[in-house]
Amino acid sequence: MLQNLFTDGLVIGSVYALVSVGMTVILGVLGQINFAHGEYYMAGAFAAWWAIDRLGLSYMASIPLTILIVGILSLAIGYAVMQRLVDVSFDAGIIATLGVSLLLQNTATLIFGGTYQIFDGGWLEPMRVFGEDIAQQRVLIFLVTLVVFGALEWLVRKSTFGKQMRAVSQNVECCHVLGVDVRRVVLITFILGTTLAALSGVMTAPITINIYGAMGEAITLKSFAVIVMGGMGSIGGTLVAGWVLGIMESLVAAYVGLQFRDAVAFALLVMVLMWRPSGFFSTKARY
Amino acid sequence: MPGIAIGGRYAAPQVAGGVLIAACLVLFPLVASSYQLSTLIVSMVFLLPAIGLNLILGYTGMLSLAQMGFFGVGGYTSALIAMHFGTPFWLNFVAACLVPALLAAPLAIPALRLRHTSFVMCTIAFVFIIESVSKNWVGLTRGDMGLSSVPRPRIGLWSDGFIVHTTVQYYYLGLLLCALAVAALVAIVRSPAGRYMIAIREDEILAASVGGRTWHYRLAAFVLSAAFAGAGGSYYVHYVTVISPTVFDPSYTNTVLVVVLGGGVGTIAGPILGSVVFVALSEALRIAPELRMVVYGLVLTTSVFAFPKGLIAPLTSALRGAVQPKARGPHDR
Repeated sequence: MLQNLFTDGLVIGSVYALVSVGMTVILGVLGQINFAHGEYYMAGAFAAWWAIDRLGLSYMASIPLTILIVGILSLAIGYAVMQRLVDVSFDAGIIATLGVSLLLQNTATLIFGGTYQIFDGGWLEPMRVFGEDIAQQRVLIFLVTLVVFGALEWLVRKSTFGKQMRAVSQNVECCHVLGVDVRRVVLITFILGTTLAALSGVMTAPITINIYGAMGEAITLKSFAVIVMGGMGSIGGTLVAGWVLGIMESLVAAYVGLQFRDAVAFALLVMVLMWRPSGFFSTKARY
Repeated sequence: MPGIAIGGRYAAPQVAGGVLIAACLVLFPLVASSYQLSTLIVSMVFLLPAIGLNLILGYTGMLSLAQMGFFGVGGYTSALIAMHFGTPFWLNFVAACLVPALLAAPLAIPALRLRHTSFVMCTIAFVFIIESVSKNWVGLTRGDMGLSSVPRPRIGLWSDGFIVHTTVQYYYLGLLLCALAVAALVAIVRSPAGRYMIAIREDEILAASVGGRTWHYRLAAFVLSAAFAGAGGSYYVHYVTVISPTVFDPSYTNTVLVVVLGGGVGTIAGPILGSVVFVALSEALRIAPELRMVVYGLVLTTSVFAFPKGLIAPLTSALRGAVQPKARGPHDR
C-alpha cells in the first residue's frame, strides 16, 4: 500500500516537475511568470487527442506531431507576445500572459467543445517493477522525466546556448553589449519550456483520460508552488520539489482525505518558505 | 507619477474633475436602466478589493494575489453574523473588514519574509488554503453547498431599520462604500505612513536606511488591503445573498488584477476607471458568448503593450496637457 502510494506520487510528481521546469527556465531567462503555462500542457493533450481520434494516428506517432504543433503555436505566441516582455514590468507581464491563457483556454473550448473528451491511447498494460504492477505508461513518464532533466542539466551547464541562457538571466544589458541576441534566446527558451509542458500533457493524458479546455489551470498553479519550493531557476530542485509534492499529495489523499489533495501544494509551499525562504536548492536568495 | 500628488494638495482641476465625476455617478440612476446599474454594482464589488490591491501593489510595491481569499472571508463573516444574529449592515460590514485583517496578520509572518515572485506564490497559496477550509469546515460554512438566503442589508442603528432591496438602493449603498474606501485610500497614502510605503516601493533598502522598520509598514499595507477586500466581500454577499467556495475561483482574482493593472496601478483614479471599463467590456462581449473570453484575452494582452501604465495614464496626460500645458514638475515623466 505504502509503496504503491510512493510510486504513484513519484509518477505524478514527475509530471509536475516536467511542466514546472519549463516554467522555471522561462522565468529564469525572461524574468516573467508565465500564467499561460498550463495551457500548453492542455494544448499538448488536445493535439495528441486530435491526432489519434481524428487523424487515426497511433499514440507513438502522435507524440512528435504534438511537439510540432505546440512548437509552432508557441513560436507564434513567443514572437507576438513573449519577446516583447523582456523590457516590460513584472506586473504587465502577468496581465499579458493571463490574456494569453484566457485566449488559449477558450479557443480550445471553442474548437473542441466545453465537455470532457476521452483520450484513448498510450500503453496501459501493467508491468512488473520491483515486485509491483505498474502501468507501462507510468514507467515511461518516470523514465522520460529522468532523461529530460539530464538533458536539460547538460544544456544549461555545458552548451553554448545554455551559457547564453544563463547570461540573459543574469544581465540583459550586458548581453546586448556583448552581442548576445536576447530576443532569440528568449524565443528559443520559451519554445523549449512550452514543448516540455506539451510533452508532459501528451504523456499524462492516457492516465488522466479526461481532457478539457480548462485542465491547464490547476497545473499552472501547482507549477508555481513547485518552482518556488525548488528554488527558482534550479533544475534539479524543480525535480525534487515535484517529487515531494507528488508523494505528499498521494499520501494526503490516502490518509487524510481526497478533498484535501489540491491544498497540499500550497500548504507545503508555505511550510517550505517558512523554513527556507529561497526554496530547497537555491544557493542564494534570488528574490 | 500621474494622478497622485504626494504630500501636497490636489490641484484645482483634479478636484473639479473628481466632483464632476462624483456628481455624474450620483445622478446616473435617473437615466440608467436597471441592467446598467447592476453592471456598475458588479464594478463596485470588484473595486473594493481592487483598492486594497492598489494600496499593497501600487503604493508598497508588493503583488498580493490573496485579495479574493480575504474577500471570501469577509463575505462569509458578514453572512454568518447576519444569519445567526440578525445584526444590522454596518455591524456586519465592520466585522467583515476586521476578521480578514486579523487573519492577515499571522499570515503575514511567513509571507513578508519573501519578496517578488516568492511573495506572489505565497499569497496565491493563502487563497487555496482558505478555499480548502471553506470547503471542509462544513459545520460553519456548509461546505460546497455554501450559504444561501443571506439577509439583505438592513440599514439601521440596531434592531429595526430600512432594508435595501432594489437595484437603485444597492447602487447607492455601493457608491457610499466605494466613496468611503477611496477616501480611506487617499488618507492612507497621503499620511506619513503612506509616504513611507511609497519609499518602500521605490527602494526598500534605502527606506530602511533612513530609519523606521519597513516590516511594520509592509505588515500594515498587507492587513489594510485585507480589510478592503473584506469590505468588498460584505457588499457582495448581501447583494447576491448566496456565497459558496466558488468565490475563491482564480478567475475572480484575475479580474481584480486586471482592474488594478489595466486601470493604472499606483493611482487613485486608475482602478476606478479599470473597474468600470473591464467589467463593462466583459458584459458588452456577451453579444458573442462563445467568443467572449477569447476576445477578452486578446484585449488584455494587447492593452499591456498599448497602455503599459494602464488606461488612466494616457487620459491623465491628455487632461494635463489640456489644462496646464506648461506646468511640468521635475518629477513628471
